[in-house]
Parts: sequence; C-alpha cells; structure tokens
Amino acid sequence: MEANQATPVKYDMEVVRWFTIAAAIYACVGTLIGVYVASELAWPFLNFDLEWITFGRLRPLHTNAVIFAFGGCALMATGFYIVQRTGATKLWSNGLAWATFIGWNLIIVSAVITLPLGWTSGKEYAELEWPIDIAIAVVWLMYGFNYIMTIGIRKTSHIYVSNWFTMGMIVMITYLHVVNSMAIPVSMTNSFSIYSGVQDAMIQWWWGHNAVGFYLTGGFLAIMYYFVPKQAGRPVFSYRLSVLHFWALTFGYVWLGAHHLQYTALPDWTGSLGAAVSLAMIIPSWGGAMNGMMTLSGAWDRLRTDYILRFLVVALAFYAMSTFEGPVMSIKTVNALSHYTDWTVGHVHSGALGWMAMVAYGAIYHMIKKLWGVEKMYSEGLVNVHFWLATIGTVVYVVAMWVSGIMQGLMWRDYDEYGTLTYTFVESVSAMHPYYAMRAIGGLIFNIGTWIALYNIVMTVRTASSARSASAVPANA
Amino acid sequence: MDVQAMTTNDWLGVFFALVAAIGMVVTYVMVFRPSNKQNFEAQSRMALDDEDPIKLGDKR
Repeated sequence: MEANQATPVKYDMEVVRWFTIAAAIYACVGTLIGVYVASELAWPFLNFDLEWITFGRLRPLHTNAVIFAFGGCALMATGFYIVQRTGATKLWSNGLAWATFIGWNLIIVSAVITLPLGWTSGKEYAELEWPIDIAIAVVWLMYGFNYIMTIGIRKTSHIYVSNWFTMGMIVMITYLHVVNSMAIPVSMTNSFSIYSGVQDAMIQWWWGHNAVGFYLTGGFLAIMYYFVPKQAGRPVFSYRLSVLHFWALTFGYVWLGAHHLQYTALPDWTGSLGAAVSLAMIIPSWGGAMNGMMTLSGAWDRLRTDYILRFLVVALAFYAMSTFEGPVMSIKTVNALSHYTDWTVGHVHSGALGWMAMVAYGAIYHMIKKLWGVEKMYSEGLVNVHFWLATIGTVVYVVAMWVSGIMQGLMWRDYDEYGTLTYTFVESVSAMHPYYAMRAIGGLIFNIGTWIALYNIVMTVRTASSARSASAVPANA
Repeated sequence: MDVQAMTTNDWLGVFFALVAAIGMVVTYVMVFRPSNKQNFEAQSRMALDDEDPIKLGDKR
C-alpha cells in the first residue's frame, strides 16, 4: 500500500456515492414490499381483489428489490470502493461505472413495471423475462469487466482477499445467470425455459443456491473482509484462513443446489451429494465467521461505543448461524420435516436480514463517513436505534417462522390410529395465522429501521455538503 | 461401477470433481506450508493501510 501514501490517489468515488445512496433507498422500498406481502398472508383482504398487488405478483418484486436492487447496489458500491482503495488506483473506466449504475437502475425500474403485470418466467429468483435477462447479462459484464480491469491497473502488488471474493462472484454469477436464463422467447413478454422437467428443476436450484453462495455469501464476505478490519482498526485475524475460506467456498458451493430437491424426481444420490457437501461447507463457513470475530481480538470494548461495528459483528453471528442451519436442513431426515414449510423462509431471512443486510449497513455507514469526509454520522444515536430495530425485527421474524415451519411440518405428516392424516391442509393454514401476523410485525420493525437509516444518511450528507459549502465561501471570496 | 455406461457428461463430472478435489489439496498445502506463513500474513493489514483521505477524481 506504499503507493497511495507516496502520492495521493484521486478516486472515482462519485459513482460509489450514488450506488450507496441507492442501496439505502432500495432497502427501505424492498423491505416495505416484503412487509406488505407478509401482511397479505396474515390478512388476505389486503389483496383488495387487485391482481397487480396479489401475493404472487408482489412477492417476486420484494425478492428482486432486496436481492438485486438493495443487495446489488450495496455490492457494486462496496466493490468499486474496495477495489480502488486496496489497489490504490481509480477505476479503469469511470464512464463504464456510470453506465453500470444507470443500466442496473433501469433494470430495477423494468422489474417494478413487469412483475406486477405478471410478466414472469416463473423461475424463482430469476423471474424477469428474457429481454431484461439479456440486459442483466450486459450490465453485469460491464461491472465485471471494469472491476477486473481495475484490478489490472492496481498500484499494489497483492490482490486483497475481498477482491478475490468479488471476482469469484462476478465470474460465477455471469455463468449461472446465462445458463439458467436460457429460454425460447415466444413474445417480448413471454418465454419458455429450454430445460424441461427435473433438468429444469436441477438447473433452477443450481442457480438458486449458487446465487446464495456466490452473490449473497461471497459478495458480502468481500464486504466483511474489508470493513470489519477497517471499522475495528485491527488486521484480519488470519489472512491464511481468509484465503482458505475463499477457495473452499469456490470449490465447494457449486455442488450444493441439489439439496433443494430432496424427495423429488431427481436421482436420490444427487440430493445426498448436495447434503454431504453442504455439511462439509460448515467448516470453511465457520472458519470465516471465526476469522471475522477474532479480528476484534483486543478491540471488543469498542462494541460498547461503535454502533457500526455492532452491525458487522452481529452479521457475523447470523452468518455462522445460517451456515450451520442450512446444512442441517439439507440432511434428508430434517428435510423431510422442513421442506416446503416456513422454516425455509425463516432460514432465508436469518441470512438475508441478519447477515446480508446487517453487513451491508455496516459498510454503508462506514462508507458514508469516508465518502463525505465526516467524523460521525448525523446522529450516532440513530445508528444505535437502527441496530436494535434491525436485530429485534430479524429475531422476531425468524423465530415466528421457525415455530410456524416446524408446526406446519409436524401437522402435515401427523397420522391418526387409522392411518389417515390428522389435520386437513386448511387446518394447518389456520394454525399459522398468529405466526404470520408476528412475521409481518418483525418485518415492520426491521423496515422502520431502514427508514431511520435513510433519514440519518440523508441528514449526514446534507450536513456535510452544507459544511463544505460554508468552508468554500471564504476561500472563494 | 459400469465404466462402459459412462456418458460424456459423466466423464466431465468426474473430471471437474477431481480438479476441485486436487485444487483444494493444493490450496491447503500452499496455505499451511510454514514457509508461506509470513508471506500470507503480511497482507493482513492491507485494508488498514489505505487511510489517506478520499480525493474524488471524477468531480470537482
């Protein structure tokens, strides 16, 4: 890093600022839609008999908004930030970065239009129709090409581990998205997958779980390995372990998808292989989580006063928990109970809210201060309020879904003495109602936190801009 | 194992599984080799070394 200390580097950070603010806005909107669809499940009258706002149409809008709008903007903001800072260089092409920002946001707008209209390919987490899929591939490649070329012009000899995680994500998501989205178009708004039957299911979950592995895990681990040491002011506990973490995830994650298809038409051994590799993945995942935690050795006292660090550490705790829970759920005997129940929904949200959103907010708060050159957020107290709302909201949500899911699974497979099902399906739906209400409340608590974060961020930016204007006046006079 | 029944896809799967397994072994050996420890751990402070204030190059 000697290069950037000898000569100050002029970074291309304006586009990072925009991606960061966009991420904060999309978190509010995406989780708000989530709260609404969760409420629809608890109180179905909220459909208002309008097809555009039914659960089936808004649910993919929610998942696309939080994963690709919030998560995508957070990943692109942190990616462009980290690659410049650790490489002591500006971006290879600032123009291409802006084109990426505009393109990505146009894709989000197109999702907002098409999904409520019901124009969907019907593939989970890949619902957008073929013209938008092509646009995603083009914009993603623009991001990836710019990122890798920036690595190529770095002024440092070593490529920091965060950049490896991001490059792994870029390469794998390109491959996964293109293969999974292969379809035969029949009109501009309709297409059919080129795969059929169980092959379609296998390709779908090969994409689905690797999107979790390389985008929601790998991409956000890049954030963790840069921002945890940064915020804690401590070096990475074990750099060797971080290298091992990266390669073990890269070699291992691609085998897991089949565990989504236990007890289906897929050959039995495929699901078993998926489960076996899932269990093996606990080792690098926990190694990585411990590596992040141990980075705080000697700085644990900072958790009392550094609220941003709290986000990052609690994110690591949820990362460890989710990466243990997932493999356990993939075991066939557990899967027989958990599959198709709300337990899966709870598991997904402990990862999405507890890990992904928490670590992203830790990075967002850190970057806001650096990018606008301020010592503190507008209100450090509000960061703390946001932290507790996010934590409590996540726990309420996840606990509701755990209880609901396990109860569902037990009710569905309960037989009486005559060998007939004890409960009808609708009885299990009725039993879920209190937990669905509790889930909506948990989500609402989390969502309120995102609006507080947005207010705090906007006020920090405004205060910083005002201060800069005020200091510029005498200089210009 | 019926080798005669193996399809091209099966052989491709075997090939990639072996590449991944060998790759992991090579990675473990490389990372845990005592002589490499210092080289790796020297990078652990890399994120901390970019403390220069951010100067925007694309605006102002």
